[in-house]
Amino acid sequence: MVADAKTEGLLFRGFEKMLRGRSPFDAVYFTQRICGICSTAHSVASSLALESALGIIAPQQGRYLRDIIHGCEFLQNHIRHFYQYTIPDFVKLPQGNPLYETVHNDFRLPKAKNDIIAQHYFDSLEISCSAHEMLAVLGGKAPHNHGVFIGGATSHATPEAISRMRSILQNIRQFICTKMVPDACTVAEYYKDYFEIGRGCGNLLSFGCFNDYERLGTLYVDPLVYSDGAVSGLDPSEITENIASSWYADSPATYTPFQAIAEPDIKKGGAYSWIKAPRYKGLPFEVGPLARMWLCGGYRNGISAMDRNLARVMEAKKVTEILLVLLNSLIPGFCSQEVYQIPQSALGAGMLDTTRGALGHWIKIDGGVIAFYQIITPSAWNLSTRSEDHLPGPGEAALIGTAVRDTDHPVELGRIIRSFDPCVSCATHIYSKGSLIRTVQVMP
Amino acid sequence: MNQENSSCSFLMKLETASMLFHRAAEAVRQKRIPKRNLIWLELTGCAGNIISLLDGANPDFKGLVLRLVNLLYENSLMAAEGGKAMEKLFSAANGDYILAVEGAVSTKDGGLYTVIGRWKGQPITAARAIQEFGPKASYVISVGTCASDGGVSAASPNPGECVGIQSLLERKVIKLPGCPCNPDWFLGTLAYTVLYGEPKLDGRQRPLLFYSTLIHDICPRRPYFDQGIFASKPGEKTCMFKLGCRGPVTRTDCPIRKWNNRVNWPIGDNSPCIGCAMFGFPDKMEPFIRYDVT
Amino acid sequence: MTGREIFISLINDQINEMNHTIDCLYTTSDACAKNRLLSRLRKNTASLSLLVQASCGREKEALPLQNQLRTFTPEELSKYNGRSGNPAYIAVDGTVYDVTGNAAWGGAAHFGLSAGNDLSGQFAPCHAGQPVLNKLKVVGKIAE
Repeated sequence: MVADAKTEGLLFRGFEKMLRGRSPFDAVYFTQRICGICSTAHSVASSLALESALGIIAPQQGRYLRDIIHGCEFLQNHIRHFYQYTIPDFVKLPQGNPLYETVHNDFRLPKAKNDIIAQHYFDSLEISCSAHEMLAVLGGKAPHNHGVFIGGATSHATPEAISRMRSILQNIRQFICTKMVPDACTVAEYYKDYFEIGRGCGNLLSFGCFNDYERLGTLYVDPLVYSDGAVSGLDPSEITENIASSWYADSPATYTPFQAIAEPDIKKGGAYSWIKAPRYKGLPFEVGPLARMWLCGGYRNGISAMDRNLARVMEAKKVTEILLVLLNSLIPGFCSQEVYQIPQSALGAGMLDTTRGALGHWIKIDGGVIAFYQIITPSAWNLSTRSEDHLPGPGEAALIGTAVRDTDHPVELGRIIRSFDPCVSCATHIYSKGSLIRTVQVMP
Repeated sequence: MNQENSSCSFLMKLETASMLFHRAAEAVRQKRIPKRNLIWLELTGCAGNIISLLDGANPDFKGLVLRLVNLLYENSLMAAEGGKAMEKLFSAANGDYILAVEGAVSTKDGGLYTVIGRWKGQPITAARAIQEFGPKASYVISVGTCASDGGVSAASPNPGECVGIQSLLERKVIKLPGCPCNPDWFLGTLAYTVLYGEPKLDGRQRPLLFYSTLIHDICPRRPYFDQGIFASKPGEKTCMFKLGCRGPVTRTDCPIRKWNNRVNWPIGDNSPCIGCAMFGFPDKMEPFIRYDVT
Repeated sequence: MTGREIFISLINDQINEMNHTIDCLYTTSDACAKNRLLSRLRKNTASLSLLVQASCGREKEALPLQNQLRTFTPEELSKYNGRSGNPAYIAVDGTVYDVTGNAAWGGAAHFGLSAGNDLSGQFAPCHAGQPVLNKLKVVGKIAE
């Protein structure tokens, strides 16, 4: 039984410091380099923050272009996360290949079903690759696209481009419906105990996703939170970040996004991670596909490791439907770009939900350059450290209390943590009865 | 166009990576050359290069792991986890292997800003990893601008004190910069290496196979530049030199190879090149977008 | 500059480019790059023949004097930053050059350096020995 758990983020580069002094427009490209699998998310958040600061409202066609690029990133991520990161936990892949060698024995699928899914692992490589190809039609290249910018995107939809995207989308949707969804259900069927573990904190949050279009309304979910059994609107002023257990100097220990940027301090006593502790109304909140599907009413089965995996697969299917609506709304030849000017000083916030959950960029411009840039990623919400009141983050809470069958091969831990789709190398310590039994590294 | 009679150098160039790859894979199948071991380390970076590798299309990732090499260690994709994964890494390093590294190396505070795992109770920092596995590899390939020259990980003020991997190694590193590195550049270089040994490199250790021409010299928008017809904002179809395009100083074959199964590329997307494969990226390539230039 | 001086300058430009291209040809083995460089040489010879033709018809003509070389203080130079309608000028070792429209100066910036500045200190470590400055148009000198 896991008595206590700490999730550690062991990589720090310091993007918030790097951004200071740079041209605000450059942030759209620069912040993408925070992450290679969800780079589009940062380009969109950055563009939204700049639009907020410059007082620009993107035309609807521009939003459609940008959100299509973003939607493709969802598909790429979810397919890769499910097949390349999740499936190897539950399905035995060809053991002759060194990449797939594993030592645990908790593979419960009968051979025939196992081998079908193993084959889909390889089939999915082309599909997720095609999701990035679709992204590049409007985004120029993936990862680290060029199309997303203030106003929407630099590219124009042409009939050929729309046609090509539709064709790729159809293929992806076919794969999701006929292979990915059934595979997820098969795994869920043989690993039902994972519906009982990995609950986490039970609070869910979304900044809104594919929402608030003028003509189309909300295609997915609005900014909402779920806590104590009730859904309510999101109040951005209740978002804080806490660094009590993170390697940053404690002044201040809790702050709102516009208030402060924490200074790194690797020698801080009691700290164990680079990841900070974002909080809403002082409480930890989980973000991601499960949160979104729950908040829009699309999935209410439960909150657990397996529910997270299922919700992600369901969301992939939903995103293909959303993308079709957006594609059908495109007007070819529309150029969303204007000549933009940087004001001497301004501030703006870009908050949206992306593949892993809620992402926020907060920018302050002074003297025509970036003076302050705060980034709170979805992985920070999910893999958050403990705050001052010792409340564990969702990932930590999900591990605590988990019964581990075989302490030599604690497979439950990796499976639970990976259900959050973490975007960082993370290590989990298992404590039992107050003494450190083993440090298990779980590298997602 | 009749491919066999075509002497179009561009088309030939496009097939370099796939031709080399298939040749190498065939040679492995026929046991004319051994199936080499590959270790891929993700260090201080965003892991964009492994994603880019997964986006390869003829040659592709499936071909890499099934036909060309034994991929012994890659922290995102391997099934093993934790201590078992680290065991694989250290035992792989006892034999012959080619080392591919993405991400720079953080050197501040003993390298503790990037820990890739734990081994025998000790954290394995990126710095330790490169010093442990770099010297013994038969070839070391730095994949992406961060590993090659520091890249975004080393952007000013460089809080993690990041450096490219060559700075920590005496032996030569084959550099494949790019943010990310195009999968063709990596797979083509790897295939060439297992077939013929180290490819011909330029003065910055980049294979001439992929890094010889300036984007400006093969850009389809070059006639606009020559005629002085410039875009005043992204989204336009003309030359983006005035917006700050770094095509004139960047050496890659993006205009013809393009990205993601040759579907598009930054300038084709009406946005300027930001010089992501350059040694000065990002600081010396900024500002990426500038309006109101004369 | 007289018409003759202009022609000499243009011919020298072509010769410098051709020499550089030949240098590159010696060191490249890539077939595609070779073809590019050979195309460039073809373009240079085409330009030279045009110049020869043009000079035959105009050898008696003297074009009016162009602007005299002016003197710039650092403050005056800083206005020529390549933005808002101002040309892009840089200074190296006392001479002021016009880099407006120079391919390596996209967005009026080059490797993190901005136009409108004296770049003598940055030039030598990067470009010493390279035929860079003699391709640039001289527009003045820095005030003593």
